[in-house]
Amino acid sequence: MRRRLHRSATLVAAATAGALLLGACGAGGRDDDGGDGDGGGGDGGGASAPGVTEDSIKIGAHFPLTGVAAPGYSEIPTGAKAYFDYVNAQGGIYGRQIEYVVRDDGYNPTNTSSVTNELVLEEEIFAMVGGLGTPTHSAVVDFLNDEGVPDFFVSSGSLQWGDDPSAYPYTFGWQTDYEIEGKIIGQYVAENMPDAKVGLFLQDDDFGDDAEKGVRQFLDDQVVAAERYTSGNTDVGPQIAKLQASGADMVLSFNTPSYTALSQLVALKLGYEPQWFYTNVGSDADLVGSLLSRFSEGAVEGGSSSLDGVLTTEYIPGVDQPDDPWVQLWQKVWDEHGEKGELTNYRVYGMSHAYAFVQALQAAGEDLTRDGIVEAMEEIGADLEGPQLAPFRYSGDSHLGISGMRIVEIKDGAGEDLTPVLVTDIGDAEITEDDSGQDGDAPPESGVPEAP
Amino acid sequence: MQQLLNTALGGLTLGMVYAAFALALVLIWRSTRVVNFAQAPMAMVTTFIALVIVDAGHSYWLAFAAALASGLVLGAVVERVVIRPVEGGPEINAVILTLGLFIVLHALAAVVFGNRYRSFPAPFGVRGIEVGGTTIALTGFGIFTILAVLATMGLLLLLFQRTDIGLRMRASAFNPEVARLLGVRVGRMLTLGWALASLVGSLAGLLIAGGSLVHPGYMDSVVVYGFVAAVLGGLDSPFGAVVGGLLLGLALSFVSGYVGSQLVALAALVILMLVLVLRPGGLFAQTAARRV
Repeated sequence: MRRRLHRSATLVAAATAGALLLGACGAGGRDDDGGDGDGGGGDGGGASAPGVTEDSIKIGAHFPLTGVAAPGYSEIPTGAKAYFDYVNAQGGIYGRQIEYVVRDDGYNPTNTSSVTNELVLEEEIFAMVGGLGTPTHSAVVDFLNDEGVPDFFVSSGSLQWGDDPSAYPYTFGWQTDYEIEGKIIGQYVAENMPDAKVGLFLQDDDFGDDAEKGVRQFLDDQVVAAERYTSGNTDVGPQIAKLQASGADMVLSFNTPSYTALSQLVALKLGYEPQWFYTNVGSDADLVGSLLSRFSEGAVEGGSSSLDGVLTTEYIPGVDQPDDPWVQLWQKVWDEHGEKGELTNYRVYGMSHAYAFVQALQAAGEDLTRDGIVEAMEEIGADLEGPQLAPFRYSGDSHLGISGMRIVEIKDGAGEDLTPVLVTDIGDAEITEDDSGQDGDAPPESGVPEAP
Repeated sequence: MQQLLNTALGGLTLGMVYAAFALALVLIWRSTRVVNFAQAPMAMVTTFIALVIVDAGHSYWLAFAAALASGLVLGAVVERVVIRPVEGGPEINAVILTLGLFIVLHALAAVVFGNRYRSFPAPFGVRGIEVGGTTIALTGFGIFTILAVLATMGLLLLLFQRTDIGLRMRASAFNPEVARLLGVRVGRMLTLGWALASLVGSLAGLLIAGGSLVHPGYMDSVVVYGFVAAVLGGLDSPFGAVVGGLLLGLALSFVSGYVGSQLVALAALVILMLVLVLRPGGLFAQTAARRV
């Protein structure tokens, strides 16, 4: 009985302290004073922001662990977790262990709102890291910024995470955005296949719209048809038939992996054989191959070779490059801290953005605050070296992530380089060859980024 | 021209699947006067059973037969266990129960079979047939779909119009009291109706899954379109269900190909509304005089 009383007293004390801390942050605004002085109650002391104690940092993320978007995407947090565990095993960041809380939103924006509320208000996470999806994350980006929660490395290439930092000062993109992917693909096709009749196969949302904007900057007069599919409607027959009828002999597809498989199936049915060019998002050869692998009578090549000859892009090294020093690090991390199963490109994606978040924590310094980490990222983000093939674009004016990618052709499930890494920015920015040397770098010996 | 043909053929095969599904709804309606919203997840469950069997290395046809058989059993069990307790009460109770069952089966399937996209094999290949140098959007499996649905429709017409048991099923549905007085074993007829409907539903599930991707929600849009098709043809008529399914499949395919895929669901609902306003009994219904 006494023990129970004691425990509840501690709880009350902790809750009070938490409330005071939150209050201090709210009132203290953007200064660095959040949380000192009044932290005399329950927990460790020395905590400088919600979710941060002397020896731990709690961060959260929302991912589709179930539902139609789960294949592939549900593996991303397992990769990120393996990397955070790896860092923790090496002593953490400034002595703090990273505690990573993942919630399932099933790719449903309503769920995203409720799990984000839980993460921010009940779990009291310090930051959101890698929350996945354009429609899903759109539902919580205002809330996170109103609460002043750092919202790092959204797992989506939509422009809205970074093109206007004054609107969302706490949000940062990470992967190469869809518009510059469209630009780079558009320029490549215009230069190398000037006679191609180009058809566009687009997801009917920001994803397709941003990409189309980029592509049309270079290819407008070559585009003979632009077809949109609605995510969720698996009958894409009419759209592909229309592309076929338009005479397109080159199809640029901006779609998710399931729709890569569906479009390939429909093309077989229609006897339509254009040159396919899939976005990085939709071109995971292993995943698409596993979906296509079992159609009978050898109509479809099984396994990862099913996408042979297809063009796509890449902005981080993947499992098809086992000799890349980054991939070797990821393999080591996965062997030591991963769950069951193989290292996949989705897990590599998770580890890659986890690496960038560890860099951000290092840069923010020992006295970790929410505003501090945002400022640090704006200051040094563009110089960070990591697995990404091209530098980040982070600054006070832009929170957009990786600035470029290269174009590859898939052969036996692996990408074969067709271009060097090309970098650019949104709008009219020119496309140039990257001279940062990031595609040739290697991780530090320890596998944990060093403090800048 | 080729696009027109291919869009039409795509609509034709899809329409046949809607038709199969509408047939299942019609069957339940005719034999029990209830609309079964759980038809889609029931068919989904039996399709996954087939997938498990194929995964275990057995032949497609064994899996096909097993799915149909489990559909038959599942329908009978659902009727006995879930629907029977509310029979005799207002019909809305049974309908609401089927909605509940919809959610339960969905959740269970996600737990048991996993919640990701999986590919489902087709027995006849997924390449289009070549005619005079051009490929048309009709696969071997598409032809099988069309034949299977037409055969099912024929069998159902025979059952309801030419057999004694069909007559008894209709009687039990139409007026259980009188039927019982006349010596019809109403309970058995209701169970049989559900079992047969579930079997036809399973067929629809297998037909739409073949050569495509499945996940626990893959039948959900079909329940809506199948319902529209059934209403279009009149909930009472197997022939109407098939014609309704075909019309709907063609209409939606053309809307998707020539207007925009985001308008497909809207178009289906507009068709539903038009039918309900202009011909509430459906295009082929003969029930108007019977209903009081």
